[in-house]
Amino acid sequence: MSRSSEETLVCQIIDEHATLTLGELCRSCGVPAEWVARLVEEGVLEPTPESPSTRWEFSVHYLPRVHRAARLEHDLGLNMSGIALTLELMDEIRSLRRRLDAIDR
Amino acid sequence: MEYKDYYKILGVDRSALDDEIKRAYRRLARKYHPDVSTEADADDRFKEANEAYEVLKDPEKRAAYDRIDPNQAQAQNSDAGFQPPPGWDRGFDFQGGGYTEGGDPSSFSDFFESLFGRNYAGGGGRRPQGFASPRGQDHIARVELDLEDAFTGGKRRVTLSAPEVNEHGQAVERARSLNVTIPKSVRAGQQLRLAGQAKSGANGGAPGDLYLEIGFKPHPHYRLDGADLILDLPVAPWEAALGATVKTPTPNGPVDLRIPPNSKDGKRLRLRGRGMPGRKPGDLYAVLRISLPPADNETARAVYERMAQEMPFNPRAHLGV
Repeated sequence: MSRSSEETLVCQIIDEHATLTLGELCRSCGVPAEWVARLVEEGVLEPTPESPSTRWEFSVHYLPRVHRAARLEHDLGLNMSGIALTLELMDEIRSLRRRLDAIDR
Repeated sequence: MEYKDYYKILGVDRSALDDEIKRAYRRLARKYHPDVSTEADADDRFKEANEAYEVLKDPEKRAAYDRIDPNQAQAQNSDAGFQPPPGWDRGFDFQGGGYTEGGDPSSFSDFFESLFGRNYAGGGGRRPQGFASPRGQDHIARVELDLEDAFTGGKRRVTLSAPEVNEHGQAVERARSLNVTIPKSVRAGQQLRLAGQAKSGANGGAPGDLYLEIGFKPHPHYRLDGADLILDLPVAPWEAALGATVKTPTPNGPVDLRIPPNSKDGKRLRLRGRGMPGRKPGDLYAVLRISLPPADNETARAVYERMAQEMPFNPRAHLGV
């Protein structure tokens, strides 16, 4: 695959209301559908309320979260509840850091 | 090539038992995991620990590695560089051993490669047992932009490190630089998609998409709060007390801001629509910070003395003193 490094790539902003089907999400993260179903069971992500239970769709915002969850399982051997807890704590740390950053200046 | 002391990397004795090695690895993996760690060199340390564990957890690889005399190898390190002694791997067969849970083999060192080779048949991807997908996985990278980029848009050079397959069919960690057009009005937490810019799928499948997760670098003046911007705006005591119209910066250039009389320190004044751009632009909040002129000359001292005499004011009244 040759690609000129000077070529400028155009990117699309992903609409915040965009959704991914279960299949698209699995393909994107390289994980089986059963694994995503377990994340849903654990409350790590939620299908959009409009999507029927037979055809799950997910907000595109979950994409980085599912990638991160896959890394945590793969790299640290965490189980589902460990992944859920870690992601929650990471969210909390991030928002605390933001507040700290606002106070520090 | 440099000899790597895998025992030292994991911080264990050469005689360490398997579960000690596992414990040490798990501890380091948690400490340096790039998603979790804030250490500057976390990424490198994490890869190093993975590589060490890949060798030491496998009895065969470990035994072969143990045949290399560390003292001799370290000595070579400082001279011409390490070369494995001839026949060091006699009696071992690493073929098909593959890569197990350890990590991304494309990030392992030359040293590892020279000893154990690179066998991608079994484990090129992160999740070899995962479901067979015709298209490659997507890749997500976090990109930190300057706040101003959201106002102007325009070309940006973005550097990512991503595994790639070179002309010999080996996976290498390669820093990729891309020129990307950042659209105007991009917001923190938004994702930008670059279609087809991730790695290729297995068996010649189409490449996945590259997602850029947008964040903003801390700005020297503005703080970001959702779509709103917050600015600490210094004002003179008389501007706050008597009211004034002062110049205030905004990312789109300075504007006039009217300060009402008797404004207190910390008062927030809203500049509607002057926050982050977008379909629904955010607001800019100027937080007044009263700045005292120093009493460092005769005139200034005289003014403060007159205020002290003529203005009955106890700033501690609410403390009851």
